[in-house]
Amino acid sequence: MTELTSATPELGKAKKERISLADVPWWVVIIILIGIYVTFAVLSNERYIEAFRFILPGVKITMQVTVLAYALALVIGLIAGLMRVSKNPVLYALSTLYVEIIRGLPMLVILLYAGYVISPAIRDATHRAITFSDLQEGIIGLAIGYGAYLAEVYRAGIESIHRGQMEAARSLGMTYMQAMRYVILPQAIRRILPPLGNDFIAMLKDSSLIALLAIPDLLQMGRLFVSRTFRAFEGYNSVALLYLVMTLFLSLLVRTIERRWSVG
Amino acid sequence: MAEKKKQLGDRIIEIYDLRKHFGHVEAVNGVTLHVNRGEVVVIIGPSGSGKSTLLRCINHLETPTSGQIIIDGVDITAKGVDINALRAEIGIVFQQFNLFPHLTALENITLAQRVVRKRRREEAERIAHELLAKVGIPEKADAYPDQLSGGQQQRVAIARALAMQPKIMLFDEPTSALDPEMIKEVLDVMLELAREGMTMLVVSHEMGFARAAADRMILMDEGVIVEETTPEELFTAPKHERTKQFLSKILH
Repeated sequence: MTELTSATPELGKAKKERISLADVPWWVVIIILIGIYVTFAVLSNERYIEAFRFILPGVKITMQVTVLAYALALVIGLIAGLMRVSKNPVLYALSTLYVEIIRGLPMLVILLYAGYVISPAIRDATHRAITFSDLQEGIIGLAIGYGAYLAEVYRAGIESIHRGQMEAARSLGMTYMQAMRYVILPQAIRRILPPLGNDFIAMLKDSSLIALLAIPDLLQMGRLFVSRTFRAFEGYNSVALLYLVMTLFLSLLVRTIERRWSVG
Repeated sequence: MAEKKKQLGDRIIEIYDLRKHFGHVEAVNGVTLHVNRGEVVVIIGPSGSGKSTLLRCINHLETPTSGQIIIDGVDITAKGVDINALRAEIGIVFQQFNLFPHLTALENITLAQRVVRKRRREEAERIAHELLAKVGIPEKADAYPDQLSGGQQQRVAIARALAMQPKIMLFDEPTSALDPEMIKEVLDVMLELAREGMTMLVVSHEMGFARAAADRMILMDEGVIVEETTPEELFTAPKHERTKQFLSKILH
């Protein structure tokens, strides 16, 4: 009798384990192990501590720029996306022009343009009434660049909603914009959350390009550290590690959100 | 048997020589039709005969190519007409229900009341609860559309349209997407509406409903009205050959 009761749960346990073994996200495990090793290595190494101390303020700038630029890009993208699905030919042409031009340019070129062409032009045209700081130039450049990609994400989301939804809303007397706001967009945004999350991660990485505008972000601080100490190994390892921590955390977050919404 | 002599009011819908072309397809090809207040008109006809397009022109989901539509004295085909205000007066029920999936049954019914009619939340919810009771599913107020059966969804859709207190209700094949056992629950709600004196235009091949509720039957084919008569006459003595052919196909 004792044999039977002890055998059964073990059988069930073994079976369960075999299934879950494949379900374990091994890449996460490996990264955590590397993370533990690196943390140890870093904390016990004088040179790394020095590099981290120097570079860490750049993380704050990178986060700040990414969050602000992304928020702005969400607004630009929404407006451009709505124009892209508009029946008004002028709005459609303007938004399509914006999307096609921006998507055809490298992000680095857009940033240099924002910093060295558009910003000085606005400053001169307004006789210094409007001036942008380096940080603002970087944020605006990233937002304009990503706005074009997000516009296409919004457009795809809006177009994925069945035509009957707009018809039902309009037939109740709602205006086009009311139908968009209360019926179409709430459904569309739920569907595009995963690509929006991925673009946020992509922007975090692309924000490193603002180092070219002499903004002291994570990468720029790393470069400064290397040029001062000539310790490229420790410097860029620290930079890479800090980027990885942020992007991996975000991609886990995106997965979680994705799973929660797909269940609901 | 059923004496359904009812007093019909003045003309509420006047349609003159309505045409709607999609490219080379002439979906509606010259329809003239008058409907009186309180009248129930059932439109039948083969698929592609222009029934749905006619209905959709009445609340301007389709813009007519030519012709005139006058709703309660207002020419809706004229320029500068407030089409949104007009639509709020005309309810439409679709074949595919088209409920808003991100909102509960109650919110489906209150949304347009609040946004279009500018009613306060309490008032809109009171009306919504009353209408849910009227269509027989008061307990489903907090259910989302995907938690409801097809018949329940369609009844919520009817309640949603009624919440705007429309003068006219349009039904575009309201039971065609339903499983057989759910058709009756929707038709019962429609019969009740007809008895209350709602002006109704119904595209449907539910002959039981037509017999019980229709004041007039219209057979459409190739974008025009072929026959216009009472349900009794249509079933006992159809005049046109086309009508006989069509009826022989749908009646078994």
